[in-house]
Amino acid sequence: MKLSDRKTWNLRALLAAPTAFLLIFFFGPLLIMVVYSFLTPGIYGGVDWTFSHLNYGRILGWADTKYEKFDPVFLWIFLRSLRLAALTVLTCVLVSYPAAFWISRMPKARRNMAIFLVTLPFFVSLIVRLFAWVLILRPTGFLNQGLMGLGLTSEPLEFLYTDFAVIVGMTYVFIPFMFLPLYASIEKLDSSQIEASMDLGATRFQTFRKVVLPATLPGIIGGSVITFIPSLGNFIVPSVLGGAKVVMIGNLIEQQFLSARNWPFGSALAMLVMAAVLCLLLAQLKLARTTEERA
Amino acid sequence: MKRLLSLYGIAFFAFVYAPILLVVLFSFNANPINMMIWDGFTLDWYRLIFGMETSVTESSTYIDTTPQLYSAVRVSFTVALTTTAISTVFGTILALAVARYRFRLAGLYRALLMVPMIMPDIVLGIALLIFFITIGMNLSMGTIIIGHCTFLISYVFVTVSTRLAQLDLSVEEASADLGASPFQTFRKVTLPSIAPGVMGGGLLAFIISMDDLVITYFIAGTGNTTLPIHIWGMLRRGIKPEINAIATLLLLFSIAVAALGLYLRSRQK
Repeated sequence: MKLSDRKTWNLRALLAAPTAFLLIFFFGPLLIMVVYSFLTPGIYGGVDWTFSHLNYGRILGWADTKYEKFDPVFLWIFLRSLRLAALTVLTCVLVSYPAAFWISRMPKARRNMAIFLVTLPFFVSLIVRLFAWVLILRPTGFLNQGLMGLGLTSEPLEFLYTDFAVIVGMTYVFIPFMFLPLYASIEKLDSSQIEASMDLGATRFQTFRKVVLPATLPGIIGGSVITFIPSLGNFIVPSVLGGAKVVMIGNLIEQQFLSARNWPFGSALAMLVMAAVLCLLLAQLKLARTTEERA
Repeated sequence: MKRLLSLYGIAFFAFVYAPILLVVLFSFNANPINMMIWDGFTLDWYRLIFGMETSVTESSTYIDTTPQLYSAVRVSFTVALTTTAISTVFGTILALAVARYRFRLAGLYRALLMVPMIMPDIVLGIALLIFFITIGMNLSMGTIIIGHCTFLISYVFVTVSTRLAQLDLSVEEASADLGASPFQTFRKVTLPSIAPGVMGGGLLAFIISMDDLVITYFIAGTGNTTLPIHIWGMLRRGIKPEINAIATLLLLFSIAVAALGLYLRSRQK
């Protein structure tokens, strides 16, 4: 009895500091943000402590006062962010899948080295990696010089400040996020199943579609979720590579905080991002459950 | 098919590394106007960022930003080291408590500690900004450190938990049976065996803290520019060759830290 008493006390003493820290500084801010999203913006920045649902109304359609009017542009920017994030996920899968497959068939020593090399850029400063793409994509950049040198174009094409630049940038930044879960599921692939499928007369494509793809689907889904979440709310990549032309929901939120100074509206926009992330995670959970039940 | 796959693999690695190598290459290019045209090897850009005299410093439009760079490096290191210390201690404590004590809330802790890792960083950034302003805390280096800790504790927690899951509980029980006090058991048995996990988590926290841009951007206030924010500011003012030199040095540093992590891990196996 005494021993277990002491254990409980040890435990409480251990947990007190980190628990208090996270409750105050992580969950506290999130709670305040939720509250702010239902408040009225003050006239000179700041906030009036009166309840308002119009921050959401401005985004979703029911606000029609003089200062708080529904504008479809917010929803449009959100949908565009969803699209750009989805395209980033798609490019990440297409780029990483064959590479993960290739690496999984290497001898063990080389395999570990290759995985290290794929994950190494993750440790390289984000802003440095994006700067590199500015150098490549800008009008006098590497890509344009190359294309003009080959005679494919007579004047520089606009790559920078386009959707293309943002997708390339996000793909580049998030490849390690996609690669690792993909690799983990591809490595577990049973090669005898592939051989059996081929022996039984299936074509390469059929084998891929019926054997390889279903077996590696959990990796694709896992990688997609953890790539999609940071892509959706991203605002560094669109501000460096998209400029003022490619505005994503992250840029819109940033503007509300640092130039428009409408914190309640910015909080409501952030809640929209949170809602999308939550839906995605719930969908993933449900998908994982159904596949488990089937297995 | 196999050859096609290998060819693709090489292209993949080229895609991953060519942009980074390009930055390194350009940092040695003497051409001050067009980086794409090679104009001979130079160390001028490196001399420039350290405030030494070069051909550019004599020009009338030249503004010396060396003090800002030094200050940014100092802020970044102070923040990263403090953050690493706090989040490593807190993350390790949480991992130990959740793994070694059976209590009702253990599952809840495990689930809630995942939240900071999946939270989009812009959401956390603005939430912290609102919070600090609302409670009347001035934005400072302290707020950056608090902000970084809120999500880095989770990274350390996960790394240490993974290590704890691989360990054999019976060694700790044996130590207790043989009369060691809980503190002795912790110091002599548990701590040495989780050390690789703790160090790995700490290193990860250090790297992420050094590189964080989004959360720092919102809660730094004025006068507490970290290195990534300093570079971002330079980028917004225009592409200049000396950015290549700073980027290359930062690149070398991150690769050295990552290599150190790998080395420590291989030694402990």
